[in-house]
Amino acid sequence: MAIVHDIMPAFELFQPATIQDTLGLLDRNGPDAWVLAGGLDSFDWLKDRIKRPKVVIDLSQVDELRGVREVSGGLEIGAMTTLTEVVRHPVVREKFSILATGAESAASPQIRNQGTLGGNVSQDARCWYYRGGWKCYRAGGNICFADTPTAINREHAILGADRCVAVNPSDSAPALIALEAQFVVRNSRGERVVNAEDYFVGPDIDITRMTILKPGDLLTAIRIPPTWAGAQFYFEKVRDRQVWDFPLLNVASAMVVKDGNIERVRVAVNAAAARPLRLTAVEDAVRGKPRNAATGEMAGKLAVAGAQTLRFNGYKVPLMRNLVKRAIGGVEEAKWA
Amino acid sequence: MGIVEFATSPWGQTVPIHISFFLMWVCAIGGLAFLIVHAIYVQFVAKAEHAGPVPPEVSARVPAKIPRHSLASRLFHWTMAAAMLALLITAFLPKVGYPFAWVTYHWIAGLVLTASIVFHVFHASFWSDFWSIWPDKIDIEDAKRRWLRATGKSAPEPRKFAKYPLENKAYHAIILLAGLSVTLTGVFMMKRVQTPFFTRNPYVFGDMTWGLMYVLHGLAGVGLIALIMAHIYFALRPEKFAITKSMVFGPISREHYLEHHDPERWAPSE
Amino acid sequence: MPANTPHKPAHRLIGKNYVTPDLVAKVTGRAKYAEDYRAEGMLFAKLVLSPMPHAHVRSIDASEALAMPGVKAILTVDDLPAPADAMTDLGQVIPANKLAERALTSDPVYQGDPILAVCAVDELTCAEAIEKIRISFDRLPHVVDPLVTLRPGGPNARAEGNVWFRPVAASPGPGQPPPPPPAPAVQELKWTDADFADMKEGKLPMGKATDEWTYGDWEAGLKKADLVLDETFVTPNTSHQTLETRTAMAYWQNGKVFIHCSTQSTSQTVPALARWLHMDPNDVVVISEYTGGGFGSKITASIQAIIPALLSKKVNAPVMMRVSREEEHFIGKARPSIHGRLKVGFTKDGRITAVDMFVICDSGPYDPQGDANQAGRQLSLMYQPPAMRWRGLSVLTNTPPRVSQSQPGGFQGIVLMEPVLSKAARKLGLDQVAIHRINAPEGKALIGPPVGGKRQYVTSAFVRDALDRGKELFRWDERKMQAKRSGTKARGIGVATSCFVGGSVGFDGLLVIKPDGKMYVQTGIGNLGTESVSDCHRVAAEMLGVPWEKVEITWGHTGRNLPWSCPSGGSQTTHAMTRAAYITATDATQKLQQIAAKDLGGKPEDYEVANERVSRKGGGAGMSLAQAAKRAIELGGIYDGHELPKGINKFTVSSAQALKGQGLLAVARDTMPRDGLTHSYVAGFAEVEVDLETGKYQILDYLAVADVGTIIHPRALGGQILGRSMLGIGHAIGQKWVYDQHYGLAVAKRFHHNKPPTILDAPVKMQWDALDIPDPETPVGARGIGEPPVGAGCCAILNALSDAIGDEVFRRAPVTADTILASLEAGRPMEEGLTAHI
Repeated sequence: MAIVHDIMPAFELFQPATIQDTLGLLDRNGPDAWVLAGGLDSFDWLKDRIKRPKVVIDLSQVDELRGVREVSGGLEIGAMTTLTEVVRHPVVREKFSILATGAESAASPQIRNQGTLGGNVSQDARCWYYRGGWKCYRAGGNICFADTPTAINREHAILGADRCVAVNPSDSAPALIALEAQFVVRNSRGERVVNAEDYFVGPDIDITRMTILKPGDLLTAIRIPPTWAGAQFYFEKVRDRQVWDFPLLNVASAMVVKDGNIERVRVAVNAAAARPLRLTAVEDAVRGKPRNAATGEMAGKLAVAGAQTLRFNGYKVPLMRNLVKRAIGGVEEAKWA
Repeated sequence: MGIVEFATSPWGQTVPIHISFFLMWVCAIGGLAFLIVHAIYVQFVAKAEHAGPVPPEVSARVPAKIPRHSLASRLFHWTMAAAMLALLITAFLPKVGYPFAWVTYHWIAGLVLTASIVFHVFHASFWSDFWSIWPDKIDIEDAKRRWLRATGKSAPEPRKFAKYPLENKAYHAIILLAGLSVTLTGVFMMKRVQTPFFTRNPYVFGDMTWGLMYVLHGLAGVGLIALIMAHIYFALRPEKFAITKSMVFGPISREHYLEHHDPERWAPSE
Repeated sequence: MPANTPHKPAHRLIGKNYVTPDLVAKVTGRAKYAEDYRAEGMLFAKLVLSPMPHAHVRSIDASEALAMPGVKAILTVDDLPAPADAMTDLGQVIPANKLAERALTSDPVYQGDPILAVCAVDELTCAEAIEKIRISFDRLPHVVDPLVTLRPGGPNARAEGNVWFRPVAASPGPGQPPPPPPAPAVQELKWTDADFADMKEGKLPMGKATDEWTYGDWEAGLKKADLVLDETFVTPNTSHQTLETRTAMAYWQNGKVFIHCSTQSTSQTVPALARWLHMDPNDVVVISEYTGGGFGSKITASIQAIIPALLSKKVNAPVMMRVSREEEHFIGKARPSIHGRLKVGFTKDGRITAVDMFVICDSGPYDPQGDANQAGRQLSLMYQPPAMRWRGLSVLTNTPPRVSQSQPGGFQGIVLMEPVLSKAARKLGLDQVAIHRINAPEGKALIGPPVGGKRQYVTSAFVRDALDRGKELFRWDERKMQAKRSGTKARGIGVATSCFVGGSVGFDGLLVIKPDGKMYVQTGIGNLGTESVSDCHRVAAEMLGVPWEKVEITWGHTGRNLPWSCPSGGSQTTHAMTRAAYITATDATQKLQQIAAKDLGGKPEDYEVANERVSRKGGGAGMSLAQAAKRAIELGGIYDGHELPKGINKFTVSSAQALKGQGLLAVARDTMPRDGLTHSYVAGFAEVEVDLETGKYQILDYLAVADVGTIIHPRALGGQILGRSMLGIGHAIGQKWVYDQHYGLAVAKRFHHNKPPTILDAPVKMQWDALDIPDPETPVGARGIGEPPVGAGCCAILNALSDAIGDEVFRRAPVTADTILASLEAGRPMEEGLTAHI
């Protein structure tokens, strides 16, 4: 069978208008169904004819999944809300600005206009072997092509790898973890609400999935509690290009500082592992400590403990160390004369 | 649905990657079916097979306890059993919907299994009666006799067993085949995961060779589901329980010995 | 806007901005590119590319595919015409290269080599049909890294061997003209293990080279030097990544094939397609009114453009073959990387004493690339070493075909040299601008090795003026005094000079002044986004006194009687075609003067042409151009094209014949003398800020000052200077290929993997300026600009980075955050310097 790319294969398309109908369709089609949100991740797979769902369920007509609602001091963001809508929302900007910063660092303006928050957190790995259609572990095969003596793996994992060394590329995910967000997952049997960090799955647990979503499941909303409203936030993404690029690494922290000491803190990184990592050890270590460079140094070193590098991604260790250092201790800004 | 799953290699070639995992269910159900059929057979169809009583002068020579399994053999057996169960659980539990981080446990158990097999091969070759587990001429003849008698034809009575009954020997041969397949391929697969022992390098073999290895590993693996089920079943059967006990404590009783074994073929002094 | 707008009050059109004739269509989306055409009953074609880097196709079973409804045909290498020989303008036959790329192949030599094409009613049917085709391959050994193939026992990219060499030319018989140079051939070359010993220290190993030239006593030069640097640097392979892929559509009418394609040149594409199709050029019509970028990859369209043409013949219907971005990665061509090692001697004051240069060019699987040699030539011009040895080799690998890319070879030569020059400045305690200045070419500067015992020279060079202008505009000295470190940031400034061929000679112009008083210019220049398609003709309008509104330009369709224009590649066009416009306008002027003299008395030289009139000098009798055009028709002969001059290209002859009798027809070939080889120059200045904790850097400011002769069209010139600077900056900051060496396959095939720069990667501030000093060897004074900004853009950034963070950080381009951070962390270069495609 000769190989051809860039032509989308035929599939049955459903465009339900309600969550109920969507869940019914998901139930009926099980593993044959492909959920289409903004399409930025999906269309790559479909156009390359690598993923071949029989049925595509396009969520674009489900109004219930769109929009940002204020709920008891916090927010409930529909999974189909575009990144641009999230970035521009006044309450997000005012109280939870780290989400705006994180979401705004994703991709490009055009992609953010189309891409959704639900899609951004649920997107698949961007490992170029996997995306190139190489039949690796993540694709149901029995090999990781990115961890071999000849592999080019500068963008791959330094933590949490288990056979597969792909990373999670989401820019909004660490911000959501820092904000203690909760993800609402529904299926025909009911609703589950999970903590942001528990929404993601590493290859040790399930090598073919990035999230807990199984056939039949639908991420409907992301809830942001008032807990961290107006806290001190830090978000930084390092990437090769200033726009339209996935992170080499990103970091997000939310912090409440009292009398110069860190009273409460949450910190997460992404693109270091196959799932966004909440750094609980760092949180525990810096809680109660003064917010200064020394605490930052300590946090950075602790964050990268146990990192395992590949041939080309050794730089991620100092990078993560420095980003976590900044997220905790702040940046020493340049003061040019 | 084929028994082997194929994938397209990076070069566009079709290569096997592993068995179809429904075979896991085929083996599990097949194993269960065998147990049920066997239980029914033993309960309702089978008749006693062995020749008459043992001459008293022979039985007088037999001590009250006959050592069947040395301590070393027993340790080996239980180590291997633990490793094997760990391997099966770590291999198949995630496949049936209980995902967990299985790989490290799996390869550690695999190493234990491999080490215990290596130990066993040496131990059996140099410190035990190596040939006692392999079918001999009498086993073959008796098997023929049993078959003829079971199908209603006339044949001389089969003799009693030596140290191991023929089923036991046959089972050993099959599990040896499966065990060697799974451990040999498994040892090579250690090159494909991160371990402290090797630099990960999946390119020591080509895509096709690896594919065949995975198929063999998988076939042996699912085969072991059925084999281990059968093994446990026999260990728990009342008429075999004496042997199971001997696998724990070492000896069998004189009665059991005299009933099932031919002192000519297995001298208890050993 | 230029930093310092040149102003030439003497000129009415030259040096002025204007609305180009293609502008409205482009900005409104009305412009039709190859993909935008539709024809009645048009079918579609899709390519099947090789999944293996090197293989032989044993068999193709397309029976199931062909049986599908809607599937019309497949095309394989068996359907292609045999490769045709080429003929030079002098009538010398260049035999077809048996190892050259063909449109389709059964012996793929790189992943992506097209095996076959399927033609069907739509693309979805094509794709479904392709998946029903069974191709069995015999896989062959592959290599994607030029150093790997040179290793003892290393694989060869082709059965014939792994390096290109040029067989020794046969000496001509007595009294015979020299035969054409023998075609390059492929042979096997392996170095020894001892040759590779240097690699351990990160130095490029230097085994046997296949080619060498020298001038001066380079050994003595190095010996007497106060400082000798021995540096290795690797430049990236970069796809041209034109926004428009090489889509083509074709149909046949009355034995002629009409091909809508994407090409840099218009008239020059006809003989190329004719050769690939093995047809008479008179039966080939090229339509390409707009081209979405070429950068050297579409100089005469692409060989795959013949696929829809051949399919169209087979199925007797128009066929469109759209090329996807991924296909473009493979068949869209790329700049070859060069692994280079330079030993350069310097005196205390920074003057270069000698250069010993060794280069390995990754030529890909097909034609040998000139980049290795050109790297040496351009280096010899740009830095004027008094003595030099160049050694090089072009290695074959199983990677996509290479072809010239903006400043081919020159770019790589500059990129190898600039970090050395910048490092020498730091070692010797000299200013970066000063060390460039002391080594800069001036006037008729020498270039390359001796030819016939004598070194060649350029037409002119004013690089020191460019450096001086840039230094002032960039406030270089002021910035030099700034602090280098603050907080977690480091800043640095860099300067680089760059040069390349800036023009050719010998092409034709053709225009008709009609009785409606308008000037109808025919042009075979491609519309590749540089605006030279209209800019060059401003010269004729200027000289003939025709207002621009009365100039109609016909371009982009060889069925519309176009002259023989230059290939739009290598920055030739502005130079070559302003000359052609000049000589054609001169022809028109002479004819107008003669007509005036005939009708109004006196001698032709008593008349002058200005303000749409030909009239007696100093006032008096005259006639309008409209009247003169009418008279030209009445006079016939040479005046309206019934008689054509000798020496013009046959392509121009047939076009001029078709236009005869419509007005005053001017046609001429540029035979004007030129002393020297035309080259252009750019000095680039950059300031960068590096985040020492992440390795990320930002380009704060960039300035390019061009020495390109007379400015024809400032806005287009600025677009070229800054646009091509960005191309170079892309090479510095991120653009690359990524290959898995085990499989020999590309893992980066899309923009977001290959990482051409985005608009937000452009320098925060970006400016250009041009000296506007006319080149003395061309009547208009203008040279081409496309090439030299590339090297300057790249190297100004590299040098600014070294200024900010030191010399021991990177040894290859692009320089990305990971390299910077890892090297700063370790205090030594940490990237794998010599592994290809990482």
